[in-house]
Amino acid sequence: MLFEDEVALDKGLNDFTLKHKKNLGLVSLDVPLISNLDVSVNIALIKQYHENLSADTAQRLVLSYLTKYSLADISHKRNPALTNRERFCAMLLRAAMVRDSIVVIDRPFTIIPDVQDDRFIYDALKVVDDSFKECHIFDYLWSKDRYRTIDF
Amino acid sequence: MINAIARIGTTTISVTRTFRDTLSFAFTIILKMFNKNSYNSATRQVLIHQIYFTSIQILPLFIGISIIFGTLLMGIVLQIIKNLGLAEHMGRILMDLVVTELAPFITVLLIALRSSSAINAEIAVMKVNKELNTLDKFNIDAVDYLFLPRVINGVLSVVLLSALFSILVLTSGLLFSKLLFGLSLESYSNVLLSSANFYDIVISLVKCCTFGFFITLIPIRFGLRATNDLTSIPISVLNGMVDVFIAIILIEVLSLILIFI
Repeated sequence: MLFEDEVALDKGLNDFTLKHKKNLGLVSLDVPLISNLDVSVNIALIKQYHENLSADTAQRLVLSYLTKYSLADISHKRNPALTNRERFCAMLLRAAMVRDSIVVIDRPFTIIPDVQDDRFIYDALKVVDDSFKECHIFDYLWSKDRYRTIDF
Repeated sequence: MINAIARIGTTTISVTRTFRDTLSFAFTIILKMFNKNSYNSATRQVLIHQIYFTSIQILPLFIGISIIFGTLLMGIVLQIIKNLGLAEHMGRILMDLVVTELAPFITVLLIALRSSSAINAEIAVMKVNKELNTLDKFNIDAVDYLFLPRVINGVLSVVLLSALFSILVLTSGLLFSKLLFGLSLESYSNVLLSSANFYDIVISLVKCCTFGFFITLIPIRFGLRATNDLTSIPISVLNGMVDVFIAIILIEVLSLILIFI
């Protein structure tokens, strides 16, 4: 979903997140990774809290997904030590851990400002596409040209 | 004059509100504590980590302080008991002084200095970094996941470390009781056991639980008061620690009043 300005985008995002609060998997700079937890614990937390999965099982699941991203080495890193792309993948993976997840990516290019177009986002989504039900991207109209692979 | 009265009134209202809010928050935590839905794999993991940080990491320092402080203190107390000719009350004096009064107080001071400040800063940083917003967006109850394990850990840590302090200090008392009164291990143990009063132990236990509860609850509340500015973190920690200290003194005074009633 593309919006003309920040006010319209915030309103649209707020309405959408309220409507889908139960299954929401939000990827946004306003929903950061918890800084005193490792990446793997951040992601596993969702399964541990909502599905009471044991720490070991949840961590193994997370590691298997991180390996698909070729990011197994970041599992013990913390938020400040991540690159923008690593942070995006970790946040996306966390969002995908929600059961029947409706993944919402809020202004993705603010999380990965060094990325020129949506190919990276598309590839990252492909890796976890078995884990979420829907995915919605919220961005500004003026970013439309950066979306070449994903249709709106 | 009117200004002074107005200031007193404002301060009184503010203090009353803070007190009421703290009690209301305490009530919420207690309700959650006895609700089995509050516990899950994530909560248990946080609780284990918290117990490690608060009770295990501090052990070498705590044991060292207990032995040094305990040995000196027992030496002085037993010497005074001997000088005043109160040898027949030795067990009672030691139990009252060490188990009921000193152990909870020294333990809570050490834990408050180390862990309460850390909890306060941690929650304040999470607030500033919008990490509490993260928990909310992922439908994770901050009370269940963040606050409850910390409060339970506070209660457990103060009770267990206080018991350890009592054991170490009373054990070091054995040395001086042998030197000053010529008591054997068996006689010393008998003196202490015969002086142990169930009511005192209950008071001590309740006091430790109350200490542990409030020295973790108050920092959490003050951490949550941080604004979105980084500069609000030290202010939140400063105010929180002052209130923790006031709470420790208040609980100590109340327990003394209870004992003397």
